[in-house]
Amino acid sequence: MSYLISDEAKDLLKDVHEFCEKEVKEQCKEYDRSGEWPKDIYKKAIDMQLQTLEVPEKYGGPGLDRVSVAALIEEMAKADAGFATTISASGLGMKPVLIAGTEEQKERACRRITEGGFGAFALTEPGAGSDAGAGKATAVKDGDSYILNGRKCFITNGGVASFYCISAMTDKSAGTRGMSMFYIEKGTPGLSTGHEEDKMGIRTSNTCDVVLENCRIPASNLIGSEGQGFKTAMKTLDQARTWMGCVATGIAQRSMEEAIAYGKQRIQFGKPILKNEVLKFKIADMEIGIETARQMVAHSLTLMDKGMPYTKESAIAKCYAGDVAVKAASEAIQMFGGYGYSREYPVEKLLRDAKIFQIFEGTNEIQRIVVANNTIGKF
Amino acid sequence: MEILVCIKQVPDDSVTVHLKANTGEADLDGISPVVNAFDTYALEMAVRLKESSGGAVTVISVGPEGTENAIKSCLAVGADSGYLINDAAFNNAGAPEKSKILASSVKYLEKSTGKHFDIIFCGKEATDYSYGQAGPQLAEIMKIGVVTDLTDIKKADAGVCCKQETEDGYRTVQTGLPCVVTVSKPAYDPRYPTIRSKLAARKMEIPVLTSSQIGNITAAKTANITLRIYEPPKRKCGVKIKEKTCADSACKAVGMLADAKLL
Repeated sequence: MSYLISDEAKDLLKDVHEFCEKEVKEQCKEYDRSGEWPKDIYKKAIDMQLQTLEVPEKYGGPGLDRVSVAALIEEMAKADAGFATTISASGLGMKPVLIAGTEEQKERACRRITEGGFGAFALTEPGAGSDAGAGKATAVKDGDSYILNGRKCFITNGGVASFYCISAMTDKSAGTRGMSMFYIEKGTPGLSTGHEEDKMGIRTSNTCDVVLENCRIPASNLIGSEGQGFKTAMKTLDQARTWMGCVATGIAQRSMEEAIAYGKQRIQFGKPILKNEVLKFKIADMEIGIETARQMVAHSLTLMDKGMPYTKESAIAKCYAGDVAVKAASEAIQMFGGYGYSREYPVEKLLRDAKIFQIFEGTNEIQRIVVANNTIGKF
Repeated sequence: MEILVCIKQVPDDSVTVHLKANTGEADLDGISPVVNAFDTYALEMAVRLKESSGGAVTVISVGPEGTENAIKSCLAVGADSGYLINDAAFNNAGAPEKSKILASSVKYLEKSTGKHFDIIFCGKEATDYSYGQAGPQLAEIMKIGVVTDLTDIKKADAGVCCKQETEDGYRTVQTGLPCVVTVSKPAYDPRYPTIRSKLAARKMEIPVLTSSQIGNITAAKTANITLRIYEPPKRKCGVKIKEKTCADSACKAVGMLADAKLL
């Protein structure tokens, strides 16, 4: 066990492992082909309350430390990264509220999750990706309401969420200081979902546009104060990044396990190919990457639990684990040779799944900027 | 309806067990203990019956220290309370003695809690040695009826209506209460624990019953004696037929069957 976790978390890990082996791993293969969102699997996951892992104990969550939750999320990612992304993105959707929301908003968002819903965080727009401050969506105050207009894109859980935390400009002239964050529930008139992405990987997660057309919400749904939205978004991403590092680590772990299993049974030149030192070294390099990525994830989460600064560590964890996952998946394909390139075998999916972890929740280039900015100034 | 489920902790049955070369005993090192699969089916059936007819489910197990975890995993999937029956005096108990221990425990629990168990569920057998004796023996000792190999159960007017698996199909058996039932694989799977039920179950106390409460039940000398434990013989090598064409292979196979006078 590479995570140092409590006995109770180890017990839960066994349950999650069994659930993923029996209900997720094989089933997701077909959904990966079809691109359909596996509603039945998520219903079972919700029955097991897997979506509640990150809900604080105060608001009805299980009250586990973050490293324990990471062990469980990694287990889910080993079975299917899209599945783990959906579960984790639900935690992401809740974070703006937990970071800057009122007590009432926190209770409401957490209740939506514990009742069996998912959350979604909507920051990205067609013209505002890495430059999140360039968003064009607007929120105009009208008496006791805000009226929101605009289009958000690449929103994980966009089509399946019970509630959204959506950023919009309340003062366009003020740049990032003119951005505010809003809590909006599914079914609010003027809120709809648009184009659904036909993605390369993590195809069991839902990614789509979220459209705001004169969407009127109570002014009390403002999260924090006006102009604080960008700061809340950055804090949200600071936390969420480590979790994506955790999912990426799961993909890398699965890649290595598949590579070892195949390398042991594939006979060439009269012996298992894994008897060749050149391939053993591949496994060693995978394990070195995976274990260091995992420990960086755990370190960043421990800092969060202790209330210490974690911005740089979270960026390192996400960036490094994302790179490790892509490398490990690619090397797993190499171990499988021609079969690895075939969709009949499990490893090509892992590379397709892994790639997004170098892109979303801040590209790895942005992560390097975060790391550099948090390092250079200190010397 | 008061329901009792008897469970047994066994080595994980998804792992192949080998015998230790020096002692001939089963080598269980590194094999994690789990609740016997048929007992998990029995528990699920019992919990479903409770959910449709009301009442409570109590779990008991005769086993070594550490069996508390198996009982707790039952509490996480619908059982309401659990007891471990553990005493050094019971260490060498065979199947008939364990049934006596279970029967005495039932008596003790009924007396001490004031409950009267309407149905006692057991798995039809355990996946370790597959003796399959606990349920019928328990019923015999308690002088109550038993229905074996259930795949479903429903509450009926004067008792329960059981769907019993037979060699040829299914039989519907109605019986009065109290009774013992043993459970085969039903059409449904046992539920998964939820995160919260698992954490809550871990915190629950599992009272331990010893010989001071249920009496000292010692092994009857002649009840049964294990003569030898051995692994199933490895399958001997068969004949590999690999002719040039499939048709040739088929002809050769049929020819060999004819030579052996099997056709």
